[in-house]
Formats: sequence, structure tokens, C-alpha cells
Amino acid sequence: MFLTEKKDAKEIDEALNKYKRIGIVGCASCASVCLTGGSKEVKEMEKHLLNAGKEVPFTISIDEPCDKRVLKEDIRFVEDELADTEAILVLSCGTGVQTIGEYTGKKVVTGVDSRYIAQTEHIGEYNALCGGCDECRLNFTGGVCTITLCPKGLLNGPCEGHNGINCEVAEESKCVFMKSYENMSKFFEEENLDRIFSPRDYSRTIKRKI
Amino acid sequence: MKIIPQIETPAGENYINFEENLSKLIEGIKYTSKKFGLNGPGEAIESYPVVIEQNFGINALLLCNDLKNRHNNLNIIYAFNMRDKNRVAILSDLITLKQLGLKDIIISEGLHPLKTVFYAAKPVYDIDVLGLSSIIKTGFPLLKDNEYVNNFSLFNLGVVVGVSTQVDFLKIKKLSKIGVDSFVINYFGDNLDINIINYIKAEKKPVFIFVNESNVKSTLEEFIKKNLELNVDGVIIKISNEKSNIFTQD
Repeated sequence: MFLTEKKDAKEIDEALNKYKRIGIVGCASCASVCLTGGSKEVKEMEKHLLNAGKEVPFTISIDEPCDKRVLKEDIRFVEDELADTEAILVLSCGTGVQTIGEYTGKKVVTGVDSRYIAQTEHIGEYNALCGGCDECRLNFTGGVCTITLCPKGLLNGPCEGHNGINCEVAEESKCVFMKSYENMSKFFEEENLDRIFSPRDYSRTIKRKI
Repeated sequence: MKIIPQIETPAGENYINFEENLSKLIEGIKYTSKKFGLNGPGEAIESYPVVIEQNFGINALLLCNDLKNRHNNLNIIYAFNMRDKNRVAILSDLITLKQLGLKDIIISEGLHPLKTVFYAAKPVYDIDVLGLSSIIKTGFPLLKDNEYVNNFSLFNLGVVVGVSTQVDFLKIKKLSKIGVDSFVINYFGDNLDINIINYIKAEKKPVFIFVNESNVKSTLEEFIKKNLELNVDGVIIKISNEKSNIFTQD
């Protein structure tokens, strides 16, 4: 799931200042789970805009607004209202916002901040485990991503800043390399203990269109 | 055992003032070394090791060059971290150091920006100390089409490490295998694993203890005594302010 957080209403109001007729699109997937773009949040935002003197020609929750195929199908339900809309307030991650902007050709405003790919512990409690760094090394690290979990994103062992147990930055947490080491020992992957990773290849990051 | 000062480049002072303060600092170290029967500085500051930290960027490299030019035999060691620069900028600094004839370097991962006054700065860590050590010592291919970078093997490379846990031990073994020349232990107190220190010594690599002067919880005397028991080759003490420091206070 991609974690999003609600933006401050003041920023949204400022971004929509020039526009009178505003449609609202929610995301029934990730943003719904994070309570930032589900049907309840769409309703709340509609109320907010109406109170601010705006017109809201339509509201809609789309299963996955980041998926062009789904978007094309679902947006047809509000085709007529969309034609008469000046701007669309999108309650989804940045991918959803841009997909809607590209597809509709309308001015889009985001109502949320995009954070990270998240594991859901409970509603409201999330963990970042994967940074989507193009070249997954989990097969060699005991199934623990040190790039994401180490605040320094190190590949080849702990920094000099941990005090023997805890991380220098996230002081309440154990150094992630200890977990990695424990797993490698547990699964008898000694051959990985001596592995030296080459630095991350960023040339892959700018070639992200498959 | 030697007491070695590590100094951040002064941001707002000229080099002449800095050198005057450095001379006073060395006098303080001379006094402390004599007190403990250590191998301290001689009459002049020449031939004594001084670590200059990278902070304030090019200024530190200029200072290293200036000190080297003024004091022919002063053993200048340049310390830098992986936090602020990507691989291109770091290799550029190495080329500059090579051109200046400075061959002693100490590298560390570096304190995270969140723990500094620049708390919102981007933590770079593009390459880690093992990656950079590989480049320096084994010519690890880093460029396009697996081309090798310039030969940097002339550098005498020290790496700052922790020595508390098995994962530290693994990292040290890898660094040792690569050919790192010496190890600098980041000091936190009593959680040093003596077996790891003994391993480094058995590998015949010099080992130093690094501490920020503000982290010397006991008196300087007690701290020196404790490290003498560890039988390390030196103690690198980071001086926060060369005008007022742990050596000139008493």
C-alpha cells in the first residue's frame, strides 16, 4: 500500500482559490485504507468546499485512480459533470493525481501528501519496509531491507554511530543490521555474511518506464 | 600510544589564528603526554599527527594544504564522511588530496543530519565506507562499462567503526580483507568488545580510539588511563573549539 497523509486544509484552499466548480476524486484503494481518500473523506472534503462557497459538480471514489484502465471505466459515470468542472481535487497519492490530470486534461490539486510504500500494522500505524530502489537485495540480507530500514540506507554493515544495540537515529529501535544478521544465521546463509555490495545503480532509477 | 587532535576547520577565522591556536593545543597535548609517559609531540608541531575534519568543504582541503606547506613534516590526516557527498564529489576530493600529496585519510559513515543542526538536510550516503574502501584498495569498478577509477591505492586508509557487536565484527573483517590500513573505534563508553580489538591487532592493523571531547565523561586523566589498558595505538580526541579545549582547560 502507498501511504498518504491529509494535507492542511489551508494549502488546499489556496491551491483552489482561483476555481469555483471543483470535482472531487477519492481513491478506494490505498488512500481509503489510510483514511485520507475514502468515501468518508471525500464527503468531508465536499462539505468543506461547499462551506467555502465553492460548487461541487461531482464526487466519485475510484478503485485505483493510478490504473488508467480502471480510471477510464469509472470516470465515465461523471463524464457530463466533468465537462463543466474547472478543477479536480484528488485524494490519492501523487501517481493517482498525475494520472487523473493527464487523462482529463483538467487542473488537478492534491489533497494529500504522498509518503512511502507501507506495511499496515493497524489502521493509523504503518511501517516503511521497501523503498522501491530498483535492485532488490532481500535474497542476500536475511530478508531485511537495510536500504529502507537503516536511516542512512547503508548496504554493507552498521555505521559507527550505534551504541552497541540501538540505532543512532531511531534510538528506540535495534540496528537493522542485527536483525539482518540474526536472519542470515537462522536460515544458515553464512555465505551472505561476507558479501560486499556494490553501490546502488542510480542509472536504473531514471529508466523507470517499462 | 599517541594523543591525536581532530579539528573541524574554523568557519570564520583565518589560518594564522588557527595555527596559533593549534600550536597552543599541541602544547597542551605535549603536557598531557609527558604526564602519562606517552609518545607526545616534540619541540615543534612538525612530525606530529593532526586530523583535519572535512566540515566546511573546500576550506578543510585548503587548510590541509596550507598546514602542509608551512610545516613540512606535519602529519596531516584528512577525515571525511559519506553523509554529504555523492560518489562523484568524493572521488573529486580524493583526486584533490592526491594532487596535494596528502595520503593519510580517515573515513566514516558520518553522523546523520537529523542529529545535527542541519536536521532537514538530505542524507546522501550514496556510497558507504566499504564501497569506498573497495574503490581505494582494490580499484572496484564504479564507472560506466565497469571501467576502473584512478588508482588511489597510495592512500593510507583508516576507517571509523563500532566494536560492540557481531555485525561490527563482520564489517571489520570485510574491511580488513579489502586492505584497510587502520581502524578508528568510535567510543561510547564501556561497551567495547575486546575480542574485536584483539582481532584488529592480530591482523597487525593500528587501532585508535575516537572520542568527541564533550563525550569524555570522566576526567581526561581517567580516560587516558582506561585507553592505556586497552593497549591501542592512539586516542583521537575531537576538539570542538581549539581556543578552549580539554587540554588547555586545566
